[in-house]
Amino acid sequence: MKNLSQTETFTYNQVLLLMIVFRLILGLTYMPVVHVSVGNQDTWIILLLSIVYKIIFNLPLVYLSNKFNNYNLLEFADKIMGKFLGTLISIFYIIIFLLANILFVTIFVEILDVALFPLTPTWVNVVLAFFACAYISYKGMTGLCRLGEVVVPIIIGITFLLVILGVNNFDFSELLPILSDSTFKDINIGAINSTFRFMDILLLCMITPSLENKKDLNKIFINSIVFSTLMVAILIVATQATLGVEYTKHANFPFLVYTRTLSVGEIYGFDSLYIGIWIIGNLMKISAFLYYITVALEKLTKKNNRLFIIPVSVLLVILTITIKNREPLLPIAGELNNVIRLLSIISVVVVPTIMLIAYFFRRKKLQNI
Amino acid sequence: MAKKIIAIIIFLIFLTGCWDARELNQLGISLIMGFDIENDKILITAEIINPVYSLEEAKGNEIQSVEYVQGIGNTVQEAAKDITLKFDRSLFIAHNKVVIFGEEFAKRGLVKNIDQLLREREQRETSKILIAKGTKAYEVMGITSGVEQIPANYIYEIMKNIRRNPKNADVDFIEFLKNYYHEGQHPVAGVVEKKDKDEINKADNAGGKGYELSTLGMSVFKGDKLAGYLNGNDTKSVNFILNKISGGIITFPTPGGGPEDFSSIDVVQSKTKRDVEIVDDKVILKAKIKLRGSMGEVIGDIDISNIENIKKMEEACSKAIEEGITLAVKKIQDEFKIDVFGFGTVFHKKYPKKWEEIKDDWDEIFSQAEFQIEVDTKLIRTGLINTPLFLKKVK
Repeated sequence: MKNLSQTETFTYNQVLLLMIVFRLILGLTYMPVVHVSVGNQDTWIILLLSIVYKIIFNLPLVYLSNKFNNYNLLEFADKIMGKFLGTLISIFYIIIFLLANILFVTIFVEILDVALFPLTPTWVNVVLAFFACAYISYKGMTGLCRLGEVVVPIIIGITFLLVILGVNNFDFSELLPILSDSTFKDINIGAINSTFRFMDILLLCMITPSLENKKDLNKIFINSIVFSTLMVAILIVATQATLGVEYTKHANFPFLVYTRTLSVGEIYGFDSLYIGIWIIGNLMKISAFLYYITVALEKLTKKNNRLFIIPVSVLLVILTITIKNREPLLPIAGELNNVIRLLSIISVVVVPTIMLIAYFFRRKKLQNI
Repeated sequence: MAKKIIAIIIFLIFLTGCWDARELNQLGISLIMGFDIENDKILITAEIINPVYSLEEAKGNEIQSVEYVQGIGNTVQEAAKDITLKFDRSLFIAHNKVVIFGEEFAKRGLVKNIDQLLREREQRETSKILIAKGTKAYEVMGITSGVEQIPANYIYEIMKNIRRNPKNADVDFIEFLKNYYHEGQHPVAGVVEKKDKDEINKADNAGGKGYELSTLGMSVFKGDKLAGYLNGNDTKSVNFILNKISGGIITFPTPGGGPEDFSSIDVVQSKTKRDVEIVDDKVILKAKIKLRGSMGEVIGDIDISNIENIKKMEEACSKAIEEGITLAVKKIQDEFKIDVFGFGTVFHKKYPKKWEEIKDDWDEIFSQAEFQIEVDTKLIRTGLINTPLFLKKVK
């Protein structure tokens, strides 16, 4: 079977930057962690603690990716589980990627609809977004990685700039008392909850065979989790210290509201900087998921993945518009979070753990692969 | 080539303009808005900048710099939409620097009724909040008594003078909401009052020139409902405890001077630390202020080129601040019985477990608590002269 490493190779920096931005964008968009557990001033501690849980819960996938570093997630599922179950797992992950992408696009469009273009019909925003994403995906991951190498440092730089510009507005007493209004159990439940908001590890497992140096996988895995979590923690501290803990929870897009409060003298409008990096980051994330949906379809059908980009984009456009025109997604955060958590638990923990158990039973047979 | 042409056509279709674009000649740019209750309905008044003002003024024609539009409805949004039936431009409120609430509106509850303002994207969260003391918001709009020709700018500029005189309150939506959500602190907001103005130059007696606005004082809220007002000195005391003093003067009796001899110190820097202690099951509220100042004015028989006398001035200044703040705290404890100083939030941070037990009764506990204050003044400059001018320096 042809594997991806034969066609594209990516450097440590390229993949690390992509993984960081995929995670960072979630915090930049709607900061779901401010709603987890007791949702008080200890949120940043919950987030830091979640680093440990993220590493623990992602271990089955990372272990398998290390063992089968010449194969992507769907390919090693085939090797471990056999042709039939492997195909079922591939179909399962295609659905997961599709659902995840629908969620990202829906949230992306929601912020565009509410905060930027209230008069523009939803379908225009969705079509334009997919127009860009389909083009990026068509050019493959090489293009996306090169784009990331240029754009992600800018995104990170602007994010820090936005935080620094708000320093005068920070009231750190908003973050006190520390660890007094939450129990040990609350903090841990919160950390576990916030762990299951990310499915980006799936993308890392898809990219692994294309890594220039396969041994970089663990470094990318750990560093991307640590860097992105630290950055989101900084964003949360800045936002809560400026808006207060309660108003941060009231805001659908807390960091956007934070950027609206920034000013230097009589100069306002720093939210436009945020909007710029946020749109680029989101388009990159949507493009990556779109690309790997088509890669998964290529594996199933043995046809070139490019053939699927336009049909999948059209399908995603239709599904997104259908959902968006039915109900708002972010205000019903509880239901949305339940869906994301369920998808994440099944795809990141349950299925990989089953594969890991199967691997240990079939270890000797698989050693020659 | 064909690909390039297709790309150009696509760009031409999609990049011709934004769906949500609103041109300047379609907008009614509001700089200040007022919210009132009239006949049990919400009345919105917006001050719209007149785009032809500069042009007409240049031609020598008399024309108002701003226009006023009003809308009424059961909700803020309904009232805003009512304006569209009378005003030919689309109301654009992103440039609102100040939002004024009429007294009755504020008494009914601010947070409950400003939902729409913060739900829509146009209104900035950093706009200042003022309460029209004893009147409607629209009564204080349209008055300019300064150099500024645009009333909104006039109000905004005098609000900003808190840096020079902290006898007013500089509160925006974010700060108001933060304190509203705090369990141990009630919000405060600024005040604007319409006052008669002495007409020194009769030629100016036209239009609204007979009035001026004053932002002296502070409005105090219980939850989101207006509870009352503080005078200028009490406002300064609240600002001291809230650590919001960045300038202004402290006036105090000159040590060794007569009853009419007062001196002033310009505040260079002030830092307040609030604290709460439980002693014998009684709550003690504490404030420790460190102030660095510059000698602003010396009236009295005191030679401040002498280090001993500088110490005396510092002590007199500290004493005046202590007395002023103690009086203000006592007044708020007795009259309003609500904690606007945030001692409750300090209690929460210091005694989080105890806080859970007493948080519902905090205002009651606050109103009966003992208050202790300690002020440490340091005079770091004496200006261009040393001893008072009327004292001859003898060898």
